[in-house]
Amino acid sequence: MTISRRNFVKISGAAMALPLMGSSAFAQVEKIKIGFIYVGSINDNGYNYAHNQGRLYVEEKLGDKVETVFVENVPEGPDCERVIRELAQQGCNLIFATSFGFGDSLVKVAPQFPDVAFEHATGYMSGPNIGLYNARFYEGRAVCGTIAGHLSVTGKAGYIGSFPIPEVVMGINALALSGRRINPAFTVKPVYISTWNDPAKEADAARAMIDQGIDIIAQHTDGPAALQVAAERGIVGGFGQGADMSAFAPETQLTAIIDHWGPHYLASAEAVLAGTWAPGNTWEGLKEDVVQMGPYNAKVPADVVADAEKIKAGQIDGSFHIFTGPINDNTGAERVAAGVTMTDAELLSMDWYVEGVEQPA
Amino acid sequence: MQFRLEKRREPSKLMSYATPVAAVLLTMVLGAVIFSVIGYDGIGAVREIFLTPLTNSYKWQDLGVKAAPLIIIGVGLSIAYRANVWNIGAEGQYIVGGLAGTGIALLTWGMTGWWILPLMVLAGMLGGMAYASIPALLKTRLNVNEILTSLMLTYASVQLIYYLIRAPWKDPMGMGFPQTRLFSEAARLPTIIPGTIVHLGVPIAVLVGLVAWFIMSKSVFGYRMRVVGAAPHAARYGGFSENRTIWLAMLVSGGLAGLAGVLEVAGPFQRMVPGFPTNYGFTAIIVAFLGRLNPLGVIVAGVVLAITFVGGEVAQTTIGLPNAATGIFQAMMLFFLLAGDILIKYRLRRVMPQATAGTA
Amino acid sequence: MDLMLAILITVVGASTPILIAALGELVVERSGVLNLGVEGMMLIGAIAGFVVQFHTGNSYLALLAGAGAGVCASLIFGFLTLSLSANQTATGLALTIFGTGFSALAGSSYSARPVTLMRPLFPAEFAASPFTKVLFGYSFPVYFAFIMVAAIWYFLHRTRAGLILRAVGENDQSAHSIGYSVIGVRYMAVMFGGAMAGIAGACFPLLLTPQWAERMTAGRGWIAVALVVFASWKPFRLLAGAYLFGLVMTMELYAKAGGGPLSVIPSELWAALPYLATVAVLVLISIRRDASTNAPACLGKPFLPSN
Repeated sequence: MTISRRNFVKISGAAMALPLMGSSAFAQVEKIKIGFIYVGSINDNGYNYAHNQGRLYVEEKLGDKVETVFVENVPEGPDCERVIRELAQQGCNLIFATSFGFGDSLVKVAPQFPDVAFEHATGYMSGPNIGLYNARFYEGRAVCGTIAGHLSVTGKAGYIGSFPIPEVVMGINALALSGRRINPAFTVKPVYISTWNDPAKEADAARAMIDQGIDIIAQHTDGPAALQVAAERGIVGGFGQGADMSAFAPETQLTAIIDHWGPHYLASAEAVLAGTWAPGNTWEGLKEDVVQMGPYNAKVPADVVADAEKIKAGQIDGSFHIFTGPINDNTGAERVAAGVTMTDAELLSMDWYVEGVEQPA
Repeated sequence: MQFRLEKRREPSKLMSYATPVAAVLLTMVLGAVIFSVIGYDGIGAVREIFLTPLTNSYKWQDLGVKAAPLIIIGVGLSIAYRANVWNIGAEGQYIVGGLAGTGIALLTWGMTGWWILPLMVLAGMLGGMAYASIPALLKTRLNVNEILTSLMLTYASVQLIYYLIRAPWKDPMGMGFPQTRLFSEAARLPTIIPGTIVHLGVPIAVLVGLVAWFIMSKSVFGYRMRVVGAAPHAARYGGFSENRTIWLAMLVSGGLAGLAGVLEVAGPFQRMVPGFPTNYGFTAIIVAFLGRLNPLGVIVAGVVLAITFVGGEVAQTTIGLPNAATGIFQAMMLFFLLAGDILIKYRLRRVMPQATAGTA
Repeated sequence: MDLMLAILITVVGASTPILIAALGELVVERSGVLNLGVEGMMLIGAIAGFVVQFHTGNSYLALLAGAGAGVCASLIFGFLTLSLSANQTATGLALTIFGTGFSALAGSSYSARPVTLMRPLFPAEFAASPFTKVLFGYSFPVYFAFIMVAAIWYFLHRTRAGLILRAVGENDQSAHSIGYSVIGVRYMAVMFGGAMAGIAGACFPLLLTPQWAERMTAGRGWIAVALVVFASWKPFRLLAGAYLFGLVMTMELYAKAGGGPLSVIPSELWAALPYLATVAVLVLISIRRDASTNAPACLGKPFLPSN
């Protein structure tokens, strides 16, 4: 294939329009077999765990109409290509590649299996049988930020990130923007640790930030280590990421952002069963129940809970969007004019920090 | 009744072929038992891990592609280890080789020409050699242990990838994700069998193995490496410089690791991504030993390891065996192989209590 | 000032497991054996320690379980390399692969299960002020590591058994001809190394982050191996090395979190710094004095009695 990236995007755009014109490449099936590919271990208490919960959700809902298989710890690269082919060849009708780095492999393999439906999480390259899906985690961050803005005594939150990708940057910004709506002096201190899973390093990063004055911690890595340190140090609190982590820090988790992929997985599975599956590009959030908020901690005061719920409700009914201007970046320059809401494309390639975020190295 | 080990006059040819086979068979038997005991389908596990990839012809292309880098790196390591030079940083040399190739691919992005790929390959090999020359220099000049320096440099090289793809080499169209742009056509390794994923790297791997075997067994260079490894003192008297041997061993193993790196990035990856380091450099150490530090053996061992990787994934989907099981099978195989090594140099002899004298 | 003390406390936590594992490896290498399986033994110790802590809540029992599991793992290595004279480099690597896989399998039913951290050794009154907290605020393994530094130094240089161990590492043939059991001594050393690596692994769920996560030692076993050379096989230098390493790892995070002048260094360079620093120190030591003069002469070579 000799298509450049630019052409490719155009081609895939055209292909995405096809099903709307009544193409029915996907036949109805009696029983569906779904394959899941995870980048980490299903026991990571976080991202991959949440996807696996989604798989179990589908199994529970569809009973004997579905069979699911999964492969865990799949490296992002050629190994993934092989796993995708393996699953397709085993007769999977629907395959979920749940990590960004699986995209290249999917684009290579999907054309060889035109009858199989593929869906890629957090990616951007679609195709005639490759759908995209993502979750608006930032909506959850906006709820967290509201609580943080109210409860933080020092007005400083720490944020442990893995790598500075748009997904992470967006979350940091959402936390800062929502915190500053409550407390204009609220700031967020991001620290990148260059790994998704090194619990001891996450914990030490949390300690380093707590020692320097933060009293709220958020993280975008795969486990509960930072929350446990928050509990150990007795700071105001932190937020679960990916899954409800209150078991790890019952006193400290203020609420959690729960990746609830189940409804999306179920909808796709049912579409394949009915023969109506078409490659979509979904970016669902609180409204579709794909992002859920965990239980509020008993120590969060009622008025703060009410405010958080208001933000949540606003995002569900569409009246509130955290990335609505005026938004300045952290050098003070205006990036989004008053009343303007950032587009999804702008959000998905976000590489700058809003006012109130300390510039990380 | 007692057993004692008795040194053979010369290493047993029979045993050096028989023990790897026995190690694989023992792993299969014991693995089936252990995994059955802990509640998995043990026999199914062995069948899926060791046999399915071979019996399913659709999997052969995967075996070739997975084995190729393992073989190329493993051949280089086997030469170094023969000379008692313990380069365990092949992963880092693989990474730097891949990065060097990526550099050329990005510099020539959008261009066409037959010369781009050879230039990338050359850059990759030089990159691997350059990275290996740091431990070589420190070893020969300052007698710093090469095991540690080569390993530490591996960790540093991973960070180099992260830095390059986050900042200077980031794909301008990549939505902010840390990866380079897709290489243009001229910088991609062609597939050699239409309709499959088998790329040029696969025959190159076999070729590397054959050439290395020929050189190691037939040339003065090979003789020197083997002598220095087997008897460093004798080699010194024989006029072979130990330092030169260290340099040669590091450059050959580093260059081949770099070659594997550039073939991997130009073949299956076609861009540099954070997931580029996939432990090939470490797995190749097992391959080198499983192949008895013999280039032909390394080819076989590379395929065997590829089988366990590919089969391990099959077993996850068909019988629900966790990913961790693959590592346990690989480690067991290596344990048995290493345990069997002693039978090559020694024979087991039954001795009656009073008959101990007289031997030795 | 308080920040300095706080940093110190984090450094102590980060350094302790590395120091304990490295002390074990130091004794192993002094006996002439190179065990590269430290990372694998640590992971096995970590899951064993976690499981016992989870079920009993007794941290001392958990440390003991880590030690016991480490010894079991080290016996695989010992049997292959000592009884069967297998290649030590390859066996050590295989042990690390094994430990990674084994611990993941054993721990698969323990995800999403928190444990409690090990309690500090001294009563809370001792650690009331920030200053006394730096001295008395830690749990047992921290003090254990310090005691072991002195104990191992004393053992190696002031006891007969230590002399024998060093003799075995320096010249196995003559130690054998005097009548010492080279293999026996090395077995003891390897088992001690396994116990220490196991304890070091158990420190992860007990001291640093009270949970089980696959590969939670994240390469620190390799750092322990490197530190032994870094310290030229000397216990007190090892203490300095482990704390220096812990300091570099921790400073990265404090610098990033603090946003001071050091935070302009790209995070990738910070992450690579401990490894580059190790290489640099190896070089510096070697320039000053030939490092190899300190290396046990028989390191990594199998012992084959020449009769």
